[in-house]
Amino acid sequence: MAERYDAVVIGGGHNGLTAAAYLARAGWSVIVLERREVLGGATVTEEVFPGFKFSVASYVVSLLRPDIIRDLELARHGLQVLPVDGTLTPVGQGEGEYLWRVDDHGRKVRELRRWSKADAEAYDEYSLLMSEMARFVKPMLDEGPPRAGGFDPRGMLGMATLARRFAALPEPQQTAFIQLLTMPSADFVSQWFETEPLRATLAASGIIGTFLSVRSPGSAYVLLHHYMGEVDGEYRAWGLPRGGTGAISGAIAAAAREAGAELRTDAPVARVNVRDGRATGVTLASGDEIEAGAVLSSADVRRTLVDLLEPGTLASEDEAAVRRFQFRGSSGKVNFALSRLPTFKCLPPGTTDHYRGMVSLSPSIDYLDRAYDDAVDGRFSTRPYVDMGFPSVIDPSVAPPGKHVMACFVQYAPFRLAPELGTWEDQREAFGDAVQNAIAEYAPDIHDCVLHRQVLTPWDIEQRFGLSEGNIFQGELLLEQLFNNRPLPGAGYRTPVKNLWLCGSSAHPGGAISGAPGRNAAREVLGSVGRGRQEKVA
Amino acid sequence: MSGNGSPSTYDAIVIGGGHNGLTCAAFLARDGLRVLVLEKSEQPGGMAATSEILPSVRVPTLAHTVGRLRPKVARELRLREHGLALLGPEVRAFAPSLDGSPGVTLWADISRTVNELTGLAGRGVIPLRDVAAYADADRQLLALGSGLGALMGRVPPDIGHPSLADALAGVLSGLEAGSRAHSEGGGLLRVLPMAVSDLVGEWFESDALGALVAARGVQYTSFGPLMPGTAQVLVADAAGHGGGIAGQSVMVRGGPGVLGAALATAVEAAGGEVRLGAEVARVTRTGDRATGVVLASGDELDASIVVSGLDPKRTLLDLLEPEALGPRLSWRASNIRTHGATAKVNLALSGLPTFSSLAGASSEEQAARLRGRIVFAPDVDWLERATRAAKHGRLPEAPYMEATIPTLLDRTLLGEGRKGEAGRVEQVMSVIVQAAPYELRDGSWEERRGELGDLVLETLERFAPGIGELAVERQVITPLDIERDWGATGGHPLHVEAGLDQWFAWRPLHGYGRYRMPLAGLYLCGSGAHPGGGLTGGPGMLAAQEILADWSTGRLRASA
Repeated sequence: MAERYDAVVIGGGHNGLTAAAYLARAGWSVIVLERREVLGGATVTEEVFPGFKFSVASYVVSLLRPDIIRDLELARHGLQVLPVDGTLTPVGQGEGEYLWRVDDHGRKVRELRRWSKADAEAYDEYSLLMSEMARFVKPMLDEGPPRAGGFDPRGMLGMATLARRFAALPEPQQTAFIQLLTMPSADFVSQWFETEPLRATLAASGIIGTFLSVRSPGSAYVLLHHYMGEVDGEYRAWGLPRGGTGAISGAIAAAAREAGAELRTDAPVARVNVRDGRATGVTLASGDEIEAGAVLSSADVRRTLVDLLEPGTLASEDEAAVRRFQFRGSSGKVNFALSRLPTFKCLPPGTTDHYRGMVSLSPSIDYLDRAYDDAVDGRFSTRPYVDMGFPSVIDPSVAPPGKHVMACFVQYAPFRLAPELGTWEDQREAFGDAVQNAIAEYAPDIHDCVLHRQVLTPWDIEQRFGLSEGNIFQGELLLEQLFNNRPLPGAGYRTPVKNLWLCGSSAHPGGAISGAPGRNAAREVLGSVGRGRQEKVA
Repeated sequence: MSGNGSPSTYDAIVIGGGHNGLTCAAFLARDGLRVLVLEKSEQPGGMAATSEILPSVRVPTLAHTVGRLRPKVARELRLREHGLALLGPEVRAFAPSLDGSPGVTLWADISRTVNELTGLAGRGVIPLRDVAAYADADRQLLALGSGLGALMGRVPPDIGHPSLADALAGVLSGLEAGSRAHSEGGGLLRVLPMAVSDLVGEWFESDALGALVAARGVQYTSFGPLMPGTAQVLVADAAGHGGGIAGQSVMVRGGPGVLGAALATAVEAAGGEVRLGAEVARVTRTGDRATGVVLASGDELDASIVVSGLDPKRTLLDLLEPEALGPRLSWRASNIRTHGATAKVNLALSGLPTFSSLAGASSEEQAARLRGRIVFAPDVDWLERATRAAKHGRLPEAPYMEATIPTLLDRTLLGEGRKGEAGRVEQVMSVIVQAAPYELRDGSWEERRGELGDLVLETLERFAPGIGELAVERQVITPLDIERDWGATGGHPLHVEAGLDQWFAWRPLHGYGRYRMPLAGLYLCGSGAHPGGGLTGGPGMLAAQEILADWSTGRLRASA
């Protein structure tokens, strides 16, 4: 006798948990099925080496929607976000060869003036503009995607609303919005700034998780995507959850559990069961069946609609559309356990504040662009872009006393390696070495600090987290894969299979720890019942 | 003349006698305006130019095909009567291979193409599935092209204005729906932002076929095929004519300069005046109203309408003083992206080169395949590598090239009584070269001109061994020459980079996408305006439409 729920959620990542929490709060009986032994998906803290707790994959938080934090009372469930302050961009080993922006306005302006008076003046204008842009796109994150196309009146209305809101913006914001959707991030930021490390470090937000160069049109959108975050109402603020990013999924899981959801780990789903074009539940790898009125998958769209469906379930044009969706993982992650913190030679001896912020290896646009060129050739970047943080400085609970954790997000590491390089298993340590050597260009003592190193290649990310091609956003953030076209044109959170929904980052508004796809999908599922489209089992 | 209250001799002055300036002028003159076109050089037509590489041996100086010329422009301006004769060969494009395997030929007749592709599949040159994919892709690109063509044929909406913004949403929705009905691959909104490599990857497995099509997505731009938005360049190239995947390969009898001359004749036939050798130094104004121009000679000419066929940077930053724009607009204009990466090499040849792909074929069959566009891009990676070098300021090891041999269609290019070196010339070859960066990391274009010519010949040699021996003369036109001689900032042949950030209603700048520049009475009619570059006449025609609309309200006549 199969178990029965109103809804089954495939995948216990932060989006799956968010969807489950919202459904459970609406009174649905919900079960979350997680393949791994831990919840959280890519939002996870694991003690990889004794005493060292790594936010194995995602490593900072900013994009988590504030209303989700409120609705699910995540603070009460233990979420505490510690602010990350500043970004250091080393450009050499000589003293003063760095650009270091901190939150403190006076210090930041003084530092920028050291490089360029004009840039120091432009900086506030730029920051204000980006905050306004984040505010403008916010409704698009919190509601479903605007629907262009078709003659669905709701879709036309959505587009008309967007057009009206756009028309209400002053010209500088209208211009910026068009540019953010279409421009290379390097060209976008270079309109304001002449300081090379500033240009590069700002532009680098446009490539994170995406197989684009800072010189590729479209990267400015990814830049905007990273500006959408708020911490305590302040846009473009980054934070570290106490206890690592796993604490976020932990809090969401607690909220879901409290609302009555059942969360099951070590429960890989083998198949979504479909009868007469309708999802009826899932079969676990163990052979157990679970029936449900609604099946929500937080796995990516390819995994959900290609791997979890019986071949032939989808019409061939639908399957073609799924296969067209681009993943192309291009990032890796290297987590270090350190005996002590590395010394960046460009800073005056004894400086420690930079450890409370991020360090960005992005000295110039050319540096980043060359890193991309390597990846196009199927090689990991010889000199990669690295965005690193030292969570143990802000949150000592993640490392043994006196020791440290250093998290390095790395680009580029193409999922598909050139044939002569063999497999990622062959190249994993060489990749780790490349990252360590890149850091050593600015902090030569890094080699002496390393106790242990965990290297995650895109292949590892796919294996470990089930993210196709290791794409951290469950599909490239390309304009043709955004909004109405994410992941399938016009489908929103629905799939061609009735009662089967997508609630992960493959769906609008895309990746990062935002919870928006999970929350929006749950709302759509709940809404569809009201309109009699969904059979609630109860 | 100015300021004395006497009526101006001209209603409208058009700066620049390029094909768009002339088109605009002709439409204005046809409606009864007194029009003067001022052209710096001694030839009308701008980039629609023909020049003598040797005495009595003529080559298309820059552009070599005119298949995108809007039929409405040709028809309404009666260009045929003014001397324009178009030549359309049966072959559209031929992509030779490096290794001597048969190249890919795309014919105007799709069934002929499909037959040939089937043959290539039989020989293992391309996978069989690509043969079926070809017809599907052709249908899809035709549908996309007609959808985008509809947008390109109209003045863009003012998206800053609420009611029209709503209309825009409706237009886009309708287009999306319309083209989706025609194509399984999703509508314009999905396809336009794509990288052209992804789009051709959806269609074809064969890199040879993919690169041949993808090349159109990067042509004349500084983009590589992996860059998002290059699919738009391909679709725009397919818009407004029924070329589909094969594209167009239309040439002008006597060379593209004949198009310029025909347009100039059209202006004059309609009562307008075209003055050559007349360079404009600046636009004059009273307050926020344009009042005329000052020539480099110092002469002043008044007109209540001033239309610039020059690129927007030159128009806004060089022809106007900064106070006319104010700081924000000056800043915005200075950020218009205009990095050219296109060069041109023209060759006079003592015979038809032999391509290794065609070795063994009869000379007639060889010629039959070489009469259209010859595309030198054996795979998509070739395009990517050529662009990659350029973005770092280097010359590529192997440029992407598109060549034509117009003398295979048009012997009038070779004049009678050629003597000496010229007497040996049997063919001319026109080669568009990418990517040649306007900004070189090392050296200057003056120093490196010869190197570029050598590079092109060396690369051609790899496809057509022995071509170097045939070259009697060569003409090398660098991006710097394009800037200096044609006035295009950054040497960009499209005036303004063809990215989606400078497209449609926001080309060249958001708020200035409807041809009206910041001064009342000042308009933009060149390739930097919608619908963009290429020999289409589109910007000139649409600008004229808007100018005439303003003229009819009488507002522009205040200064007369």
